[in-house]
Amino acid sequence: MKLSGCGYLIKEGLKSIWHNRAMSIASVGVLVSCLVLTGAAMVVSYNVSAIVTKVGADNMVNVYLEDDISEVQAVIEIGPKIREIPNVSDALFVSKEEAIADYKDELGQWYDEMTGEGNPLPNAYKVTMSDLSLYDDTVQQLSQIDGIQKISDRRDIASKLTSLNNLVTVIGFWLVVVLGVVSLFIVSNTIRITMYSRRFEISIMKSVGATNTFVRIPFFIEGMTLGFIAGIITSLILFFIYEGVAAVIVNVAEYLVAIPYDTFMLPISAIFIASGMIVGALGSLISMHKYLKIEGGETLGW
Amino acid sequence: MIQFNDVSKTYETNVSESHALKNVNLTINDKEFVFILGASGAGKSTFLKLIMREEIPTKGDIIVDGKSLAKMPRRKVPYLRRRMGIVFQDFRLIEKMTVFDNVAFAMRVIGSPSKKIKKRVLYVLDLVGLKHKAASFPSELSGGEKQRVSLARALVNAPNIIIADEPTGNIDPEMSIEIMTLLSEINKNGTTVLVVTHEHELVQQFGGRVIVLDDGSVVSDSGNLGGAV
Repeated sequence: MKLSGCGYLIKEGLKSIWHNRAMSIASVGVLVSCLVLTGAAMVVSYNVSAIVTKVGADNMVNVYLEDDISEVQAVIEIGPKIREIPNVSDALFVSKEEAIADYKDELGQWYDEMTGEGNPLPNAYKVTMSDLSLYDDTVQQLSQIDGIQKISDRRDIASKLTSLNNLVTVIGFWLVVVLGVVSLFIVSNTIRITMYSRRFEISIMKSVGATNTFVRIPFFIEGMTLGFIAGIITSLILFFIYEGVAAVIVNVAEYLVAIPYDTFMLPISAIFIASGMIVGALGSLISMHKYLKIEGGETLGW
Repeated sequence: MIQFNDVSKTYETNVSESHALKNVNLTINDKEFVFILGASGAGKSTFLKLIMREEIPTKGDIIVDGKSLAKMPRRKVPYLRRRMGIVFQDFRLIEKMTVFDNVAFAMRVIGSPSKKIKKRVLYVLDLVGLKHKAASFPSELSGGEKQRVSLARALVNAPNIIIADEPTGNIDPEMSIEIMTLLSEINKNGTTVLVVTHEHELVQQFGGRVIVLDDGSVVSDSGNLGGAV
């Protein structure tokens, strides 16, 4: 096809979006909803995976001491016992006062009530291991020391996060499937309506010898453009949602630091735009195939 | 050249069969001017649909410029239609396009370059006497002018055959003569012209070969010398 012909077809496709703007907006809206939900699932999954990896690779556990153990007992009796375990490379004592001081900002006006007698936190040790493969044995040895109330095993969190990640992946997959089908349906209907509104032109085109490919191209362009617009809008919406949610998460748990959006902004935006364009193109192909096969091959009114 | 070789067309529904054309045999030579005359339901539309390869005969074959339409693959149909120009009774102009664009549309959809389109459209509009109306919209034109635009669109791709389906059906008698005169001039320049009509007066006035269809059969053909009917 000659270049001038291409320009004409692209122009016709873009003009059609404007002529049918109500349906175009509806299509973009549905596509954006689908892409945002799918994208959210992707981003959550990506973050959870990163956290799981980070937490799983962490070679430190918190060892909380029983309430009746004094700070002196903790330092003189329990500290050396912990350090005696061969795999322990370091054991740092964190008194309950130091621990509550970490939450000073979050507690605000309640901070004063929670210091001294009212402090609900126990004394603790931050224990670092030299060999992560001996993790389970070391936790077992630590738990046998008298005066230790609880060992916070971050692997528990890791395994819970892994389950969550699997759930998000499954939900994400079905979201992609269901919303993908819904998007296809909506886009193909929009293109179908455009085709019906232009059936007169199509009929004339066919009667003067336009090929089916030539008839299809403007609708193809229309579908892909709708998908492209939806992809861009989705990228922007997800950016703002992500920044907001990430700020909230950091306040909830300090070790759940969200991956900065700009580190994956380009690839994820490319995925949204490409997905939008693919759905748009497929939607238009489906409706055009049906139309040209059934009604579109005939000259109207004959 | 268009040849109908023992062509029949039957439309089937669940409950009945309708014979639109029955055993039609005829030949239309290049550069001929032919009227296809018949009342409503005589088979005129089916006749046109078959020539344009919008329908395939139930029996027999149609040969256009040596090519069998029954055997022609769908992908080749657009190229067959590029050798034909069609004038519709209801003009079929696109209201939102100017006269120029309506005519240019026929060239654009077959991928002609812009420069060629501009030159050729203005030439054809001049031919039908509407160059001065190039920037007008169809709603600003009379019935006769609309039909001339339709004729210009049919002519713009320089077809071998012009098919005019009731071209004077929606215009007043004076304009009808104008349109028929134009078609006659086009024919004199070497284009085969097929005019489908039910207006006997028009046929008598302009003469030429007349094929009369009735109930799907050719009942008379003034140009049939060999008894092909």
